[in-house]
Amino acid sequence: MSVPRLEMRGIRKTFPGTIANDGAELSVAPGEVHCLLGENGAGKSTLMKILAGAYQPDEGQIWIDGEQVEVANPVAGIHAGISVIYQELDLIPAMTVAQNLFLGHAATSRGIVQRGRRNRDAREIIDRVGGGFAPTDVVGELSVADQQLTAIGKAITSDARIIVMDEPSATLTEHELPAVFALVRRLASEGTSIVYISHRLDEVMEIGDRATVLRDGKTVAVVDVADVTTEDLVTAMIGHRPTSDHRDIKSFESLEPVLELRHVRMPGLIDVSGILVRPGEIVGLAGLGGAGRTTLLSAIFGAESAGTEMLLHGRRYNPQRPGAAVRAGIGLVPEDRKGQGLLRELSVVRNAALAALPLRGLRPHARAKQLTREPLKSLAVRYANVDQPVGQLSGGNQQKVVLAKWLTRGVQLLLLDEPTRGIDIGAKQELFNQIHKLASSGVAVVMASSELPELTKNADTIWVMHEGKNVARFDPAIESEEDIARVVVTGRVENR
Amino acid sequence: MTNEKTSLSDRVEAVKPSGMNGQQMLVKFNLFIVFIVVCVAASLLTPEFLSAQNLSNLLQQSSLVGIVAIGMTVVILVAGIDLSVGSVAAFGGMLVAILIGAGISWPLALLLSVLAGAFLGGLMGGLSALLALPSFMVTLAGLTSVRGLTYLTTDGTPTTSTIPDALNYLGAGKLLGIPVVGLIFIAVTLVVGLLLRQTTVGEYVYAVGSNIEAARLSGLPVRAIQTTAFVVSGALAALSGALLTARLTIGQPTASQGLELDAIAAVVLGGTSLFGGKGGVVGTFIAVLLLSVLRNLFNLMGLSSFFQMLVTGLILIAALILNHLLEQRGSARA
Repeated sequence: MSVPRLEMRGIRKTFPGTIANDGAELSVAPGEVHCLLGENGAGKSTLMKILAGAYQPDEGQIWIDGEQVEVANPVAGIHAGISVIYQELDLIPAMTVAQNLFLGHAATSRGIVQRGRRNRDAREIIDRVGGGFAPTDVVGELSVADQQLTAIGKAITSDARIIVMDEPSATLTEHELPAVFALVRRLASEGTSIVYISHRLDEVMEIGDRATVLRDGKTVAVVDVADVTTEDLVTAMIGHRPTSDHRDIKSFESLEPVLELRHVRMPGLIDVSGILVRPGEIVGLAGLGGAGRTTLLSAIFGAESAGTEMLLHGRRYNPQRPGAAVRAGIGLVPEDRKGQGLLRELSVVRNAALAALPLRGLRPHARAKQLTREPLKSLAVRYANVDQPVGQLSGGNQQKVVLAKWLTRGVQLLLLDEPTRGIDIGAKQELFNQIHKLASSGVAVVMASSELPELTKNADTIWVMHEGKNVARFDPAIESEEDIARVVVTGRVENR
Repeated sequence: MTNEKTSLSDRVEAVKPSGMNGQQMLVKFNLFIVFIVVCVAASLLTPEFLSAQNLSNLLQQSSLVGIVAIGMTVVILVAGIDLSVGSVAAFGGMLVAILIGAGISWPLALLLSVLAGAFLGGLMGGLSALLALPSFMVTLAGLTSVRGLTYLTTDGTPTTSTIPDALNYLGAGKLLGIPVVGLIFIAVTLVVGLLLRQTTVGEYVYAVGSNIEAARLSGLPVRAIQTTAFVVSGALAALSGALLTARLTIGQPTASQGLELDAIAAVVLGGTSLFGGKGGVVGTFIAVLLLSVLRNLFNLMGLSSFFQMLVTGLILIAALILNHLLEQRGSARA
């Protein structure tokens, strides 16, 4: 092989309390799509932040096109031709596409921005990334996929030779992905090297040329994607073969429903009726982005007010705020863990105890420790110490803390919105094991997910939502994933 | 699976004890260390600094701002700000004198005045919480309108009623050589500190300030907690104003102008984050004393007040930079 575009050699980086990277290696050829895999906490993000210049490694070297480089800060990274597209896209929502694309290097004449020229240049970039939007569109009003394309466009304007994409698919729905993939392929064929981080192995198989697997901060495998199976990759990531799970087919028909959604309506958003959730049952909500799954969960949880006819344990239930839902024995694990699920700067224990502390109670810290000991243990949450800020944990462990919050409180109905977003395979399976454990103890579960295989594997019943309506009910034990997927996309139920 | 995981968490534990603690201590106690250093410097520079008379004066001067700053700490912890405290203090100070003038006994007058402050705080906090208006704007409106209300009570003139000796003792007297207002300041700090650290309501204050959306989705009474913070701030502002009236023996409608800025400065210097969720009253308490000691030191050294203002501002900036640097080094982590 010719001189690699990028080589990271023997990278080591420690933080107070953790070793993030130790012996991490990465080599990417020009024009290659190189996937970077590993469980959360395996050190992928740290390695990429070192590449971008956001962190300085304790040991190790970075070589670009055969020359050793020092990436002292993010600006130096950009000058070295490195562009990182983070999951939380660093675009400015209130500004236009053109403004974002040329932020920091706008075409100016004596300090005055030349709008016309900038818009023309932006038009060119948008065409290159294959976007169907205008330079003057406001970024915050674009779809997530178009924002993603804008972020990639921004990387192009800075003449990036290496583009790192951190889980681009995490925020995209399945039918938005092809546009991004096509662009990745086109950029690679033009000679740009792509480092593609993802948890979804089928994507890796589809887009990747080679893959590097990190485990515990160290590179454990570098493979040609064509030579391996997803199973092999999983084994490399978690260090052993995953056990496939077999579930008993359970019958819930005889049980009194915990929740009955007779009619939940928010004009223009959702119009749902006839969903029953029984104790111990896991009801999956499938659908495209914007199908109204999150809105429905918010309505059940009282976070959005809806015209509703709901029964909870057979009694009329119409929560006006989340507090009422919590008192009624409902818990929500929200979609946006960072923004809605956790108090990131507060400790693990304080987060886990938040919903369970009695309002008139004293000594909350001692109480919290006592209350959360069991839940944290049974969920096998991993942390350095209980007073560690929860934001320092890996995604999987953070999600477990959110779950621990409701375990500590004790709920009869648990609402999960994309519970595995940004969580790696090992932790995903663990999370589902915990959810099954909860369900078998009699908790009713409603789980929204945009990953259909997750639902078919774990839910007892699947409702497909389309444009705000619940259009079809499936029994995943009988019906095939393909059949369900067809309804998810079309919203139409054929004869079956 | 468990093998790998244990080994990782073992390493996590193994790295933990070294390196972090010294720096954490420094971050946590840096203000206290600065305070001690300044005190030592002051006693070396001016022998009078450590005299009982001077220390007692110092506490007397810092207490009225201090009481307000404690309330401000609670508001800032819920990621709010209360710009109305100066006006509310003046209103509280006027009200106590007017009520006494109307023949109401002084303890009741004091209580009513504090309750009035709590009500005004609750009104502004409640409005801001309910309508999701920025507390900066609501309390800015409060700053103006409550000041106006205060002037209206006597048409802008000082009160003429006689303040009873017992009330005057609260504002100006000493118990065992310690100013009574100083004791009140200490008591207020302790009570609010215990409220924040040892009750669920306090825990909720930190939760709301840390991430209001997560707190709401955990079923916490978010609006009630926000409102409560402003009730505490309003009540303490009125208490501070009433104690000023007690000391001066007249109510001045022009009193306590700019008090909000002194209070906010102390809270921020004390390490409470303006973004909410981080900090506490102990930092504020020390910061209030530190600012007074500095002022006191300049006075003893005979420096002009213009010079004092300049240097106090510079010290505030220096302290904030120091805090920022220490925090950054202490918590570098993905």
